[in-house]
Amino acid sequence: MSGTVIFFLILYYVVVLGIGYWAMQRGGSEDLEGYLLGGRKVGPMATALTLQSTSMSGYMFLGAGGLGFAQGYWALWFAAGDIGGGVLNLSVIGRRMRKLSQMMGALTSIEYLEKRYPSAAVRLFAGVLTIFLLGFYVVAQLIAGGKGMALVTGIPYPVALAIAVGIILIYTFMGGYLAVAYTDFFQSIVMLVGVMWILIAALTELGGLTSANYALNNIDPTLLSVWGKDLGFQGQWGVVAGALLVFSVGYMGWPHVVTRHMAMTRPETARRAGLWATIWNLFFVPAPYLVGILAILILPGLDDPEMAIFRVAEQLLPAAVTGLVMAAIMAAVMSTADSLLLQTGSIASRDIYERFINPNATEKQMVIVSRALVFAIAVVGYAVALVEPPSVFSIVIFATSVLGSAFLPAYVCAVWWRKANTPGALSSMIVGAGVAVFWEVAGLVDTTELAPMVTGVVSSTVTMIVVTLATQKIAPVPAYIHEVMDEAATVGRIPPRFLAATNSDLTNEAVAVDAALKGGQNNE
Amino acid sequence: MFGLPFDTTLLVFGFPVFWILYTIGFLYASRDWDKDSISGDDAS
Repeated sequence: MSGTVIFFLILYYVVVLGIGYWAMQRGGSEDLEGYLLGGRKVGPMATALTLQSTSMSGYMFLGAGGLGFAQGYWALWFAAGDIGGGVLNLSVIGRRMRKLSQMMGALTSIEYLEKRYPSAAVRLFAGVLTIFLLGFYVVAQLIAGGKGMALVTGIPYPVALAIAVGIILIYTFMGGYLAVAYTDFFQSIVMLVGVMWILIAALTELGGLTSANYALNNIDPTLLSVWGKDLGFQGQWGVVAGALLVFSVGYMGWPHVVTRHMAMTRPETARRAGLWATIWNLFFVPAPYLVGILAILILPGLDDPEMAIFRVAEQLLPAAVTGLVMAAIMAAVMSTADSLLLQTGSIASRDIYERFINPNATEKQMVIVSRALVFAIAVVGYAVALVEPPSVFSIVIFATSVLGSAFLPAYVCAVWWRKANTPGALSSMIVGAGVAVFWEVAGLVDTTELAPMVTGVVSSTVTMIVVTLATQKIAPVPAYIHEVMDEAATVGRIPPRFLAATNSDLTNEAVAVDAALKGGQNNE
Repeated sequence: MFGLPFDTTLLVFGFPVFWILYTIGFLYASRDWDKDSISGDDAS
């Protein structure tokens, strides 16, 4: 391991720990709203970059490169959707979710669902499913980080894994969401610089993109096709639709991502955040796929496609730059892992422990419980990651497909469809998750040529519509929810009587927006 | 273009152009959102 690599890694770790300390000084873990949502003080650029870096993950340095290496330009279908994922999410639900979550006094994205679709069952099902899937996802990130660090530095995998987990825990404990958001901001810049450096080095090595494409054509013309190597996906529009949907529309169903809307400084922060998200994505998103494709020429004998980006960096970059790239890879992994850990801990503490086990927990107790759960999840994740793991790419696609299938209609309809009610949302989540899991486990992708994401989202959407319309009479949406939805749709300041409900941040669950609004009306 | 077949060129360059246009459209459609402005005190 070269001294330069160690220097860059240490420098990187010092900076993220410094950000954690800074967040703590800014009150990032003083109270529950501060710890879970950064006190709703996150600006547009930081919102955009935490949204993107949380979504991107170690997958971009393992799965994306591996996919490009294995399938050629077909892999770009994933990038095609991914580029617009941020702006789509922010434009469709960002502003309204920010307003609604504040008016309803919701501190987690699962609590928000219960307050919009009043039912303990909604909270319990959504909470347990999310903890399970995000736990899966955390393991994938830890594997990615451990594998990458062990490869480049020569440190044994278990030790590399322990270092990454330890650093994440320290800064998350210190500064909560604020630390996570601003380390994500820093990490997304490191990721961008790192991956662009590898891409430029690869293109320079091969004499430019056109020259590289001619060389690929000489090896196998199907690598340049939109249908994959040997035209393996020819005509499979269901699979293509899944590739487009999972990282674009799918984002709107990811609880750990939509939380970013709730933490924005202002509702209109979504506007400028959308612009920043698109700018960042245009440069970052296609790069790992392209490096994977170029690795076909640079490393023809590569036996593990998921190592494509690491190996290209190792082969083409001088030691001084390899350190920066190593930091970028760790940044991609850690920026997702920290968010996943914090969200999983938050949901476990706020949505399960406080809601169902100890409704009288004080705010201080809740911050402690949340930290303890983050620690416990990290330890379990570490232990699982040490076991012989399946492909990182598969884990990420599976977890994100099920999350998107389960929650996409619930989050979108929460802000756009006044009729969307509790039975509709609950059945939509159950059916969406069930169909996506069944499709994957039963291996129906190959026989039907439809991705689990496609069938899952279609099923959950149809279920939401049918059940909602069928149950309007027996389970109408409460009037106070119509009222806050109308207010969220209006462009303008939130009237004070709606903000009365935000006192909920200091209460235990159970805040009745209904009661708060009635109180406000009575006072008028 | 760049030695790629036409449909691959569309995939590589067409989608980014689409998202750029979408973002411009979003910025235009949301130009009055600053009326939502909530002070930091309101938000806490």
